[in-house]
This record gives sequence, C-alpha cells and structure tokens, in this order.
Amino acid sequence: MNMIEAAAVHVRFGDRVVLESVDLAVAEGEFHGVMGPNGAGKTTFFNVLTGRVKPNRGRVLLAGEDVTGLSPHRIAAKGIARSFQIMTLFDEFSARDNVMMGLPEFRARGHDIARAAAGDGRFAAKSSEALAAVGLADKGDIRAKDLSYGDRRALEIAVALAQAPRVLCLDEPTSGLGSDGVQRLAALIARLKRRLTIVAIEHDMEFLFSLADRISVIHWGQVVARGTPHELQQNEWVRRSNLGKFA
Amino acid sequence: MAAPLLVLDDVRKVYTRGRVIRRPTFTLQANLSLDEPEIVGVVGPNGAGKTTLFEMMTGSNSPTSGRVLVAGTDIHGVKYRERDRLAIHYHQSYQVRRFRKRIPSALLAPSPTRTPLVHLFDEPQFNLQDGYIGFMLDFFRKLRDEDRLVILCMHPTAAWHLDILAEIAGRFLFVAGGGVTRMADFGALVAEPRFRSYLGPEMTKAADAICHRPIPIST
Repeated sequence: MNMIEAAAVHVRFGDRVVLESVDLAVAEGEFHGVMGPNGAGKTTFFNVLTGRVKPNRGRVLLAGEDVTGLSPHRIAAKGIARSFQIMTLFDEFSARDNVMMGLPEFRARGHDIARAAAGDGRFAAKSSEALAAVGLADKGDIRAKDLSYGDRRALEIAVALAQAPRVLCLDEPTSGLGSDGVQRLAALIARLKRRLTIVAIEHDMEFLFSLADRISVIHWGQVVARGTPHELQQNEWVRRSNLGKFA
Repeated sequence: MAAPLLVLDDVRKVYTRGRVIRRPTFTLQANLSLDEPEIVGVVGPNGAGKTTLFEMMTGSNSPTSGRVLVAGTDIHGVKYRERDRLAIHYHQSYQVRRFRKRIPSALLAPSPTRTPLVHLFDEPQFNLQDGYIGFMLDFFRKLRDEDRLVILCMHPTAAWHLDILAEIAGRFLFVAGGGVTRMADFGALVAEPRFRSYLGPEMTKAADAICHRPIPIST
C-alpha cells in the first residue's frame, strides 16, 4: 500500500500557477527523492503534503486516508513530520528539550515543561532514543545554538523523529553541510530507510542518486520525470551531464 | 472533426506612441493554424515580437484585431484566471508583464477544459551540466503524446541549442520583420536567409552541420 499519495495537486497563488498537476505515490518504507531547479514548486509541494498550503484541486492521502486541507498540526498528529530548508530550532533550549517538545505525549500535556524538568522518565528516555538515532546521544545537554551546523541539522531530524512519524519529509537535508556532514547524514538516512517512509527534496545529486529508491523530477509545477536512479540515468542527455557520473 | 488546437485568425497587434496622433511603433501580424498535437520550435531575433506573440496566444495581451482560438474557444473571451486552463505560458518571473483587464471576469466565459491544451515554454534555462534537458525533452514528448500542443521558444547561442531544436521540434515558427513564418522542418528553417543572418556565420555553420548529419543523436 502507498503510505503517502498525492493526486493531481494543483496550486495557484493569484494569477500564478505554482503546481500545475502533481502526482506522487510513495510505498511504505520507500525513500523517495524530489529534485528540480529553484522555483520549480518543490517546497510548495511539501507544504501541501504537510498542510501548510491547501491545494486548489487534488488530494493528499496518508495510508489511504484523505488528509487534504487539514491543518499542519492535525497532519503532524496523523504521522507526517518534516524538516525545513531553513532551520527551525529553539536556540536557547538544550538539544534534549528541543526533541522533547516534539514528543506527542509531551504536547498532549500542554507543553508542561515543569513536569518534564521534574524528570518524567518516559519523556527523557524517548528523547534520548531520538537523539541516539541521529548520533547526538552525548550532546543532549548542549544548547541548540552551541551545536555545530551539522549537529543542528541532525537535531532537526531528531525533533521530527520524536513525533514517531509514519512519513518523514526532509527539505534539502544536506544544505549547508560539508562533505563529512553529508556522509554522516547519508549514513543516518541509510539506517532510517525501510523503517520509515521518507520523501526528501535534495540538490545534492550524488547523495540522492546513491540513496533514493525512486526520484521525481519536478519542473514548472509538474513531475517531468520519475524513476529509479538507474532509469533516470538512461537518458542520453543525462548521460552527457554531471548526473551521468553517478551511474 | 475536432477544432484545431491553436488558431491565430488574422491576429494583429499594434503598439502606438502619441496621444493625439498615434504613430505605430511596433506591428506584429500572424495568421496560422496548428491543428495537431506536436512540438513547435519558435525562434527569432530580440524585439521581433516573440513575447507579444506568446502573450496573445496564452491570453494575457489582447490583440488589436483578430482572434486567438484554442481548440475552438476564443481565449480572450475566457475568465482571466481560467485562461491558463486552455494555454499556459511557462516563463521566468522577470519575463512577466501585466496587462489591464478591461472586461469584468463575471462577464467572461469559463474555460471548457481543466488542464491546458497548449503548453508554451518561453526560453527554458537549458544547461548541459545538470542533465535536466533530457527530462525536459522527454516531458515535451509526453505532453505531445497526450494530445497537447507544445511550443518551445529558444534563443540559440550555442551549437547544442540547435541540437535540441533539431531533435525535439517537428515544425518551426520564425518571428521576424513584424510577421510569423511557418517552417516545415529544421532544414527549411536553416535554409531561410533571415534565420541565417540572425544566427551569424559560426552558428549557421553548426546548423548546416546538423542538417547534413546522417543520424539524429537520439531515437
């Protein structure tokens, strides 16, 4: 069954068509890459999947359930978590507190930080688990703003993982990372793959082509190509380009 | 028989200067019909009127006289926000020009179609390094195979731009001197003296080489 599915999603901002008609079907446990030039509509498409933008037409299904037009927090509660192109962390809080605020149980208690501080063991254990998953096990007490850039990106993913999502949407996870950071992220994604359904917008082609099960190329608000990395590399013009290198 | 996909029925656009005595500064005339789904290449020098032509085809800039029919519907009689359901203009944001909307939308007709029949790509940014060209060309073919009309405007400045045009377009429109000339294929376009002078000697040589090449680069 498809874990997440979009059908004929159409979005316009005033006179401008941003997404003409986008279809996507990602199977459970698939890592699906989304690539395309700047301004192609990739982030808008993510905003539709996560409820920040309501499409003018078309539907979004999560495990077969229609979630089109639900508010972002309701979609998050149903199991779609995301990271952003621009980082969104609470800088003054420790890494662990950032993660804790992503826990659904914690949110259900109305952000009762006093209780958390008093040491509710379950919260702490779950946060530690998410931190460990991204390789930040020993950095839980460091304030988010004091972490290195690579660690901050990893922390963002930990915050998303804390929600125990069914689908993880990553918007340019490698942006701003050096080559060692990219390698670390690739190792993290490789560990998460299969356990989670992941949709990632990415400009780093080497990263995407080595990790993704399938890739959708979005341009002019439409999916202009889709396939496995190998299938996409069969195109004559692609072979002549830098993308051909990753074959 | 179904109506032709795109008809420019004696379309004429005149830009004038002066309030009392209006002197024409620019004139563009076109009378043509593109009946079948296909990929049409559009070329022509700067200032020849390509942008004006596209704006008229997609309904943002109304002709001084004549009609633009998309699958039999006069696109300039359709509600402004639904015109891109007939013909859509993909362009860079800096290319957008806005025009006065003279008739209230409520008095205009809805679009008879939901997905555009004419897809007009205005100088897509092709780049040999990123490999998107291949995806784009396949996408143009896919649209054509889904019975759409694809119009691709390019400014050939490198030999491989000509490769793309020769590979993808089944027919051409050459815009120059206030008119639009239809060309049956790439060979006919390259034989046109005005196109050759627009290309310049070096690019013309590259274009001739493509015409004499025995096999196309991709099948």
